Amino acid sequence: MTGSAEPAATRPVRRRTPAGAWVRRVVLGRGSIAAFCVLLGVACITLLPFYWMFSSSLRTMENMFSIPIQWIPDPPNWHSYVLAWQAQDFARYFLNSGVVAVAITVSNLLLCSLAGYSLTKFHYRGRGVMFILILSTMMLPLEVTMVPLFLIIKRLDWANSYQGLIVPFLVDGFGVFLMRQYMLSIPKELIDSARIDGASELRIFWMIVLPLCKPALVALAVFAFREAWDMYIWPLIIITRDSLRTLPLGISLFMSSYGTSWDQLMAIAVLGTLPMILLFFFLQRAFIQGIAATGLKE
Amino acid sequence: MPSTVYAARPAIKRRMRLSLASKQAAFGYAIILPTLAILAIFRFLPMIQAFFLSLTAYDLVHPPKFVGLANFLDLVQDPLFRKSAQVSLTYVVFSVVPVLPLSLGLAVLFNRSLYFKNLLRSAIFMPVVMPAVVMAVVWTFMYQQDGVINTILGWLGIDPIAWLRSSSTALWAVILIGIWRATPYYMVIFLAGLQAIPKDYYDAAEIDGAGSWASFWHITLPLLKPTMLLVIVMNVIVAMKVFAVPMIMTGGGPADSTRVLPLFIYQTAFEFFDMGRAAAMSVFLFVGVMLFSFIQVRMFTRGEELR
Repeated sequence: MTGSAEPAATRPVRRRTPAGAWVRRVVLGRGSIAAFCVLLGVACITLLPFYWMFSSSLRTMENMFSIPIQWIPDPPNWHSYVLAWQAQDFARYFLNSGVVAVAITVSNLLLCSLAGYSLTKFHYRGRGVMFILILSTMMLPLEVTMVPLFLIIKRLDWANSYQGLIVPFLVDGFGVFLMRQYMLSIPKELIDSARIDGASELRIFWMIVLPLCKPALVALAVFAFREAWDMYIWPLIIITRDSLRTLPLGISLFMSSYGTSWDQLMAIAVLGTLPMILLFFFLQRAFIQGIAATGLKE
Repeated sequence: MPSTVYAARPAIKRRMRLSLASKQAAFGYAIILPTLAILAIFRFLPMIQAFFLSLTAYDLVHPPKFVGLANFLDLVQDPLFRKSAQVSLTYVVFSVVPVLPLSLGLAVLFNRSLYFKNLLRSAIFMPVVMPAVVMAVVWTFMYQQDGVINTILGWLGIDPIAWLRSSSTALWAVILIGIWRATPYYMVIFLAGLQAIPKDYYDAAEIDGAGSWASFWHITLPLLKPTMLLVIVMNVIVAMKVFAVPMIMTGGGPADSTRVLPLFIYQTAFEFFDMGRAAAMSVFLFVGVMLFSFIQVRMFTRGEELR
């Protein structure tokens, strides 16, 4: 610390007794109440679009822009969900999005952890260069490479196919980075002793390393799934056939053809957000850890 | 004699270890190979091709024709491209700069004891969960002339704003959504950074008589510098590739006021089928991303002793 002008001894040193600490924890003090109020206000702003989306999905069209504003839909109009669901083949779009997101997530879990394992526990020539190359893809947005990538996919005859949607995203630089950082903490002795016991390399990876990485794997799974579920520009480029549309494509198409049926649009918006909300509620810790992990440095 | 056996051992051991080591290295290569292959084909190859493609005229029907730097020279003089670059730059600056103090401020507020801490944090985190396309649809609805946002502004005595209908407000409407979505995301990263700072530092500062403001200024901020750099670089890259929201909400209008570069690239390539020109724009975008990241890293490390 930079020393303050006065010597510490001239100031009374506050000592917290255990009892004092307990009181502080229960009462929290004025600062906490102020912080609470600010955060409550911010929470209202972050939640407003969610509330408005849900309440509008239940509002009848006559009451959609009523004055004064109708905060609680009366009567609730669940019919908009049925109408929206039937207007386009949304069941199919959900299925497609699900297939693509699950495939991308599973393959990322496998390939990123294999690559991370290789980068931390094996010594071979070119390892450092490989790591830097993989890292550098994090700085390379799809928007920069999408035109040539489209040409490659077209040459492979993968336009309008699941392969085209999945294969380019089977592995991701950030995922490798995440797994590598986590695997640095796994002691090498553990792996060596398994080798002495005669376990094969694949078996060591599968039975010892992967189980140890569970927190990182869950975080990576949530992260990859969210990215894949969110994907818009890439399907927009390579998918023209209705039976292969993903949910974001379906929603944006619905928006352009039913632009003023706000009740139905909001109903579909609610359904499209629901999987992410469920994922968030069940895997909240992993969700937040996955993002916090992007802040890891070394 | 046992001694001769022992003497022979190190040589055998070394040879065994060597073959074992090379076996292990082979396994190490083998398991990273799929990752490298995929990234090579679907990231690096397109990156290299983008440079070659940018030197050609290609419409998907006729074979590509080499045109040298014509695409770049055209772009520099094209008022639409200049406008698009300017829109992108505005978007990046104004969706990155406010997010920094906002997300750091929220993280500081959360980094203390608090009533209903977990509930509040979940509530504030929610925008991260909403898919981009849903976000575009919902905010378009809220931005309607007689929509909820203008209603709330009306309570505060503010006249209705045309939001997406006016070229002077549309970009700001889009930027606002970017801030809404990015702030909680980076708040989480800052919170992780704050929690990594040892408590002893603050205790020591308190003994030295430093107030909470002084310890924020002299302990928190300097120690958060790496996190801050990371947040800015990540946020700039995210802001440079914004696409779904302007594409769905405005399609680039009104009067080109929200046509960010990725949107312009998409339209040039897949609506006007001018692949060479689109690739040249991609190269500009790439250079922009690199330049931005480089400047930021330099700014943050300037005058700092390298540790």
